[in-house]
Amino acid sequence: MITGHFGLAAGVKSKAPQVPLWALMFATVWLDIIFVPLFLAAIETLSAAPGVPPGYGGAIIHADYTHSLIGALILSALLGWLASIPWGRFSGMVIGLVSFSHWLLDLIVHRPDLPILPRNLFGLQRLGFGLWRFPAASAVVELAILLAGAWLYWRAALRVTGERRRGRNLATLSAALISVFGIIILTLDITGIGG
Amino acid sequence: MQFIIGMLLFVVVLGIVDSRLPWPSPKGDRN
Repeated sequence: MITGHFGLAAGVKSKAPQVPLWALMFATVWLDIIFVPLFLAAIETLSAAPGVPPGYGGAIIHADYTHSLIGALILSALLGWLASIPWGRFSGMVIGLVSFSHWLLDLIVHRPDLPILPRNLFGLQRLGFGLWRFPAASAVVELAILLAGAWLYWRAALRVTGERRRGRNLATLSAALISVFGIIILTLDITGIGG
Repeated sequence: MQFIIGMLLFVVVLGIVDSRLPWPSPKGDRN
């Protein structure tokens, strides 16, 4: 799931308008950003789910640090704290929560591959409700989150611009970009184009 | 890798467009 994360960030902007959208977008994929260098270092890995063709929703993600429950809480708290330095406590809290929302959305779609503790210490039950077993349903959920988020963002943007025509056009452009880019990312994710 | 670059580009472009809207300042809630 990528598009759904961005959609959620756009929706949050409507409730926390003082937090920059780019920061919310960054926060929503923060766990994946940390995942990339660990993946390149082969510390965290991906493998195909047994009996499933590779592609959208077909992966088991061995991200035992970044995507463990405690790891996600720690990374989110760290990002929230960093954001609170320039922007204050409220914005920091919003950034931290948006970052942790990544884990919650992943919990819905992942097969049970999300550990509770880093490195899956003590071998506790891994978590994941497995919506990815139904790729079409998962894609529809992602699209719904994206469009709901873009719509909430658009309404909030129109509110802050008031009656100024240029501002309203900019608000519409920005919401349209969220929708179009989100749909492009979802399409690339589903088709596997772009690696 | 292209996918990651594309996403970063997405965030940058969106951030630029969004920053031109008159949102309240992020520094407004400093405490």
